[in-house]
Amino acid sequence: MQRSLRLAPKLLTGVIALAMLAMASAQTITFWHTYSTGSGEEQTMLNEVIPRFQEEHPGITVEAVGFPYDEFRQKLLTAFAGGVVPDLVRMDIIWVPEFAEMGALERLDGYEGFEALRDGVFPGPLATNYWDGGYFGLPLDTNTQVMLYNANEITDPPATIDELIALAQEKSDPAADVWTFAVPGPWAWYFLPWIWSNGGAITDEAITQASGYLNGEATVAAVEQLVELYESGLIAPTINNSGIGSWEGLGAGTYLATQDGPWAHPSIAAQYPDIDLQHAPFPAGKAGSISIVGGEDIVMFADSRNKDAAWTFLQFLLSPWAQSTMATTGQIPVIESALQDPFIVEHPYYGIYLEQLQTAKPRTPHPAYSRIEVAIQDAVQLVMLGDKTAQEALDEAAAAVDALLR
Amino acid sequence: MARYPLASTVETSGRQVRKRPRLSAWKRSEYLAAALFIAPGLIWFLAFMLYPLFYSLWMSLHDWQIRGPSEFVGLANYARVFADKVNLIALRNTIVYGLLSVPAQMLLGLLIALGLEQLSRGKVVLRLVYYLPVISSWVVVSLMFMFLFNSEGLFNYVFGDVLGLVNPQTSWLNRASTALPVIALLGVWKGLGWSMLIYLAALQSVPVELQEAARVDGANRAQVTRFVTVPLLRPTTLFIAVMLTIGAFQSFIQFYIMTGGGPVHQTEVFLSYMYNLAFNFLDFGYASSIAWMLALLILAISLVQFRLIKSTYEY
Repeated sequence: MQRSLRLAPKLLTGVIALAMLAMASAQTITFWHTYSTGSGEEQTMLNEVIPRFQEEHPGITVEAVGFPYDEFRQKLLTAFAGGVVPDLVRMDIIWVPEFAEMGALERLDGYEGFEALRDGVFPGPLATNYWDGGYFGLPLDTNTQVMLYNANEITDPPATIDELIALAQEKSDPAADVWTFAVPGPWAWYFLPWIWSNGGAITDEAITQASGYLNGEATVAAVEQLVELYESGLIAPTINNSGIGSWEGLGAGTYLATQDGPWAHPSIAAQYPDIDLQHAPFPAGKAGSISIVGGEDIVMFADSRNKDAAWTFLQFLLSPWAQSTMATTGQIPVIESALQDPFIVEHPYYGIYLEQLQTAKPRTPHPAYSRIEVAIQDAVQLVMLGDKTAQEALDEAAAAVDALLR
Repeated sequence: MARYPLASTVETSGRQVRKRPRLSAWKRSEYLAAALFIAPGLIWFLAFMLYPLFYSLWMSLHDWQIRGPSEFVGLANYARVFADKVNLIALRNTIVYGLLSVPAQMLLGLLIALGLEQLSRGKVVLRLVYYLPVISSWVVVSLMFMFLFNSEGLFNYVFGDVLGLVNPQTSWLNRASTALPVIALLGVWKGLGWSMLIYLAALQSVPVELQEAARVDGANRAQVTRFVTVPLLRPTTLFIAVMLTIGAFQSFIQFYIMTGGGPVHQTEVFLSYMYNLAFNFLDFGYASSIAWMLALLILAISLVQFRLIKSTYEY
């Protein structure tokens, strides 16, 4: 009795030590994302990808938190300002330079296995992570926009913008609430493909100035063309932020075609099973069919306290298995080995997106991009409203963007 | 000097009250109780009202960064407030919105209150019906109105396709000239229940004798209302005018949701502009300076209202 009592404190200490050891090796990393609640991608991430990762790495628990896209940037800014940050974030590619410049992101160049990952991803999406001499993230998924059309109404999708105009002249009838094409809104994400396909540009290659490019001949002509199409009723009023949404319009037969990303088809097809939704490359302009690169990068916050565990999960997310699994939900993979993946090869429409991605351009990878985008969007909206001519509005925008690039 | 019985003397009656050089235990416990009651509210007030107020003043004098050191810039932000054309647009929009919504809310509120006064039945139900919009969510009703006035929305259908009074393709929220009346309509619909309620309460305190005296003197109902009741409601009218004007100058949600301040700042108001500057462009210093200038403006306007409306004599 006496001896066991003397052993008790030692046993207790031993148990506590073991418990602390167990806790120390059981790390929890927080992973913030914007997968829509209940969507296929969210369910797959939560029910397949993360559990498999946790099986393979028993000491690490991944806590995934979803946010609506609209408030995500502010959420991240608030987290950074307060110093209470997530470990990993699936971040829109356009914010990465901004957060890198603020010092919010961890530079990944030095991590073990980085080179292998860097060399295995597509160069276009990879470039969105580069800032100030280093990489502050890696691509996670990519996407672009192509033309979606209702095959019940359009048998032969237009391959060029001119063909689209001819088709619109035949089929658009504003009085009967029918428009051949709907550009979903006066936002850069939607009208930049039009500008680029017509040979326009925002800045020079080195991203030092906008004058001569944003207000250059080709860009002005592209914007004027869009306005002309809108005012003559050939394309839907959505380009002027009016009218019903592009998806609803497709379903109702109000719009015969639109432009959107790979997430659109599953949702539209589910909601409107009566239309025959098909994909085609973005109509080509003078400079070809040039769409816009979208997607998300996976970044690590510099204030993270679980960097090694986070890096392990990051590597897992870029593994062929994880990329293929997420590909089944509309998340186009970024690793080059995916091009041989049978799922991708046999997919009804991923091929079109991957082909479009070969020529797609990214938005200006600059920390001030949020403000640059506002300047460009303001200009196009002013022209849509008829308040300014395209040249005037774009001249002003070019001056504003020049100031931002300095 | 008042004598307060000690608790002990209450229980064991007969004991003499001690003369004390300082506060009795009872008085002290009273003060302590008072302090404890006030403390939560006071702490909340200091932490969430006073501290942010002065911190925002500090922010407005700096180029405030969300992390790291902020550079002192003196009055540069304030100078920028006057140079920025968007503030002029915001001022214009706020004044127009105020002119469209405030008098309408007051007048309609008063008329409905006067009408309800006369009712013998259905008062409670009607009061509820008119007041419900006041307690509804700004976000929900803004979204509702946004859909109503969409170019493919119900308003265009009824007044355009069916009645032929307006162009059925009108895009109401696309320009300031059409968007401001629509947003003001939302403001009036949502707010008139509030003025109605205040007026209803105030009407209870209008001395009936004065109204009866006027009737005896030969005034009809309309004249009684106009010459007796309404002037007596002047303090209430002043209160409502000041509160509604302050509210109009601080309107945010309806603008932010229905138009986002766009296109190109055409329907921007001070708060929507501030919000974008701070949370989109991270320009907190400048946004704070706009906030302080707005506060001064509202103060000035309220003072003017006091002068104009306040009655010079009391009843």
